[in-house]
Amino acid sequence: MANLYTTRDKYNRRQLQAMKKRYDAPVLVCCAGSREVEDRETVFVGIGISDLAGAIAKLVHTPNVILVAEAGYVGFPSLSVLISPADNSAGTMAMCHQALPEMFIDQQSGFIDISYLGFAQMDMFGNVNVSYITGRKMKMNGSGGGGDIASSAGRIVYTAEFNPRQWVEKVDYMTEAGFLDGSPDARKKANLVGGGPSAVVTDRGIFRFAPDTHQLYLAEVFPWQDKEDIKEVKNSFPWDLKVARELKIIEPPTERELWALKLMDPLCQYIIANIMDRPIGKILSEGVLHLEQYDRFLQIIERAIQEVLQTVT
Amino acid sequence: MTEKEAVETFLHDGDSFCIGGFVMWRQPEAIMREIARQGKKNLSIIDESGNFEGIDLLIELGMLDRIDIAYNMTRQVGGISGTPALERGINEGIPRPVETGGVLATPKNKVKSSARWVKLVDWTNFEISLRFMAGAINVPFMPTRSSLGTDIPRYNKDIKVINDPYENKPLLLIPAYKPDVAFISVQKADRRGNGQIWGFKGTDYWKARAAKHVVLLAEELVPTEKIYENPGLTVIPAYCTDAVVHLPFNCHPTGCFGCYTMDGLSFVSKLRQRQTREGALEWIDEWIYGPKNHFGYCDKIGWEKLDRLVKSEHKINNLPG
Repeated sequence: MANLYTTRDKYNRRQLQAMKKRYDAPVLVCCAGSREVEDRETVFVGIGISDLAGAIAKLVHTPNVILVAEAGYVGFPSLSVLISPADNSAGTMAMCHQALPEMFIDQQSGFIDISYLGFAQMDMFGNVNVSYITGRKMKMNGSGGGGDIASSAGRIVYTAEFNPRQWVEKVDYMTEAGFLDGSPDARKKANLVGGGPSAVVTDRGIFRFAPDTHQLYLAEVFPWQDKEDIKEVKNSFPWDLKVARELKIIEPPTERELWALKLMDPLCQYIIANIMDRPIGKILSEGVLHLEQYDRFLQIIERAIQEVLQTVT
Repeated sequence: MTEKEAVETFLHDGDSFCIGGFVMWRQPEAIMREIARQGKKNLSIIDESGNFEGIDLLIELGMLDRIDIAYNMTRQVGGISGTPALERGINEGIPRPVETGGVLATPKNKVKSSARWVKLVDWTNFEISLRFMAGAINVPFMPTRSSLGTDIPRYNKDIKVINDPYENKPLLLIPAYKPDVAFISVQKADRRGNGQIWGFKGTDYWKARAAKHVVLLAEELVPTEKIYENPGLTVIPAYCTDAVVHLPFNCHPTGCFGCYTMDGLSFVSKLRQRQTREGALEWIDEWIYGPKNHFGYCDKIGWEKLDRLVKSEHKINNLPG
């Protein structure tokens, strides 16, 4: 950690703290996550942050990527108004309408290079649980296509807002395979074709997996993360988290990334954590079902989609 | 044929069935409401992800004995549950206790001795698709690499993990599924039973071939000449189909690509009401048992609102009208 400050000599501590306040956690995750894609890759996106990271990648960094969604839509610009992978906003701008099993067949035969996924629990080797979380109430959420993606996509980038409860010694129920028991060829032995998780992008740094031990380690931090912050991050883990000897510094979101995010998320929906506090959520939670309310609600979505259409096509 | 006749004719107590579409789109909700009205018993359903209103409605009424599913939106809708009846079943045993083959089960002290358990089985999306594919191809199973090494095959006893005879490496075998009935919403169908789908296809191609009987719910009933104009859109050819019901807006509150967008306002307001057992039963009395049939339901929603959903979909898809 000796040279932690060398790349950020430009700013003093106070300036860095002020910079930090400018960005909400989901913005940091979306923008940092978008830089994980290489051009001409095929990207399997989900809903929410994982979808917006793909959208920013396509608009700003890697224009030739192809975004796909599991219902069967291929080659569309992502939009935050997507609430399901089958939404019309994906379909109307897609270059191919196919079927759900075809998406997973294509994936098992290696056409999907990278996929963004969310997670609820993760262990040291990147094994994930999104389904059964032990808590006050028992729940079974189901992993949907996540288990298929984690098995067969070229590599997985997990995106989430940092939460100490996410990190566990052992997941309650493994829905998505990471590096299993962490042994060097665990995935190969299990006969999984995908490369497994490659990064975990959070607002408290980017974590990667050591090539030899497949153990999660802190690889990159935002410029405002000082020694105390890194210590706090480290203490959130139930195991002794390794930290890279030379931590890379993640550049803050650029103007272009923020422009793309604004375009794809015109209502800043994903900056607001709770769906019901978002502009559309507020209309939903009013519970009024008059025709005028329908008009108000649908116009918001229509405008967002039309704006993207005008910019992108 | 009406939706009432279709359910009476093809779906019997104890049957298994599936529905077309995917998460909030092109799902035949009108059929789920009709099944509820007819008070069918001991049904089992298999679905990838979704039909959160329809499946939850049948759970609330205790009609499902077995649910095979990959995703059910428990954690998604801003702090409220997407499938409150399922959650009530798991935590309180009401209306029926739920068990998932070793991972979780309704606490024993909440379960009456006379209670009949509901079996909930966890799969991934692709595995559910493969069940239909195997059923359609008429083979006992399909192999896959999905979920190898995870807890899904560990707890789901229907999945077998074998060393395949060619390469001697582990593979998952996913058993075939041939439901008694498949109800599939399509944008266009003719009287002969050709079903045309626009937009994503979901797993409907395979569902139509795996099921013993297939009922199409058509937004638009067209003469066969219209089918000949775009044969590439015909996902379900006439020989698969047993019956066609001309039933506009049958997907409401989910959407139908190119026809009408999903009705988030109606869905969320009903979902909030359904969070408690009392609210759910009131909703069922008012919205399911209240209207006599699907058109009574449309009257109750209001045709102007349905038309607004059409206008929105046309705008988004840049279609005339």
